[in-house]
Amino acid sequence: MTDSETNLLRRVGAKDRKAFEALYHQYYRRLFSYLLKVMRRADLVEEVLNDVMLAIWKGAAGFDGRSRPSTWIFGIAYHKALKALSRRSPLGQMTQMSQMAHEPMYPERELAEPVDHDEPESLLVRRELASVLGQAVRALPVEQRTVVELTYFYGLPYQEIAEIMGCPVNTVKTRMFHARRRLKELLPGLGVSGHAG
Amino acid sequence: MRSGAERGDRLHRRVWDLLPWYANGTLEDGERRAVESHLAACSRCREELSACRGLGELLLEVPEVAPAPHPAHLARIMEKIGDHERAAWRSPLESLRNLLTATPRPVRWALAAQLALVLGLSLGFGRLLLHRQVAPVTYRTLSDGPAAPVPVSGLRVVFAPGATEQEIRDLLLGIRGQIVSGPSSLGVYTVEVPMGPDPLDKVLAHVRKHRQVSLAEPVVGGER
Repeated sequence: MTDSETNLLRRVGAKDRKAFEALYHQYYRRLFSYLLKVMRRADLVEEVLNDVMLAIWKGAAGFDGRSRPSTWIFGIAYHKALKALSRRSPLGQMTQMSQMAHEPMYPERELAEPVDHDEPESLLVRRELASVLGQAVRALPVEQRTVVELTYFYGLPYQEIAEIMGCPVNTVKTRMFHARRRLKELLPGLGVSGHAG
Repeated sequence: MRSGAERGDRLHRRVWDLLPWYANGTLEDGERRAVESHLAACSRCREELSACRGLGELLLEVPEVAPAPHPAHLARIMEKIGDHERAAWRSPLESLRNLLTATPRPVRWALAAQLALVLGLSLGFGRLLLHRQVAPVTYRTLSDGPAAPVPVSGLRVVFAPGATEQEIRDLLLGIRGQIVSGPSSLGVYTVEVPMGPDPLDKVLAHVRKHRQVSLAEPVVGGER
């Protein structure tokens, strides 16, 4: 998988449009979901995704194959997302926090499978908890949120996260440390309830 | 010397920081073992690990939003790439033009002449190669057939912008040269001179010394 992605990137580096289209199809959904997790701004995702794809086209020749293609691409996406967020709202985090009160954090109500009313109550509780957690994660600063998502959703080692975010590994650990503390404040029962299932 | 309690605190903090990656199973062996041995002795870290696992499990339950791409989206990106590529081609040409307009006129002339020369030479060389491939090679002795025509050499000459017809004529008469073509759009004349007792180098040096000649180069390979 990674081998074929490396090959694809090399071909894109040689300005092969067919390879670029294949890479686009392989990455579109992954990038969309990732950008949405990092930015929490559905209105900006597509625009940033365009920027990311264009940056891949321009920069693929410089991909040296030392990191995984996905690490390289997610790194580009992270930095494009940061840039878009700072461009769009100078008060960055403040704006995101204030949006929290008005908008659903994830459009999960429309996208999740319909609720089965016969399902056990504990499952309903967990769904509710996941929804609240989604909101709590959204309230984190973008750098902390990215570390949380890359660790727990994408299951990446901290070294790779540091590479994606372009920062030292200790910064990744510090960001996670603060994120954990903040999430516990927002969701005091997280440890117990989360581990019950 | 550091006390055992201090060392213990440092280890605790180090392990505490690593717990999320212990929970997601990505720690390298050494760190994983260090975390495991500390966990066995530290109930706070065990509780925290349980919280980390809970967080991870819950985050995986948050539905992922990942629509399929719309064909028009890819088309738009390809269009942007096309724009980018065109701009990348345009910019070297534009910078060349800017360079030329910023260059003083006499230097510009010389540059143009050199460009013409390079083009001319490469074309000439190309034709020579082509000619070699196609034409049969014949060898003649002095006693063979009709006398060979008087051999000539070619020069490419660019005259200074202020050169008068009289000055050009005098120069050509001095070397028994004849303009056989030109001026090209870049102002290059091709001048034929008979191969006389003077070697071409000497003729060339004479032409180059002339104050109304900007540039003179031999024509390679008999190209006219």
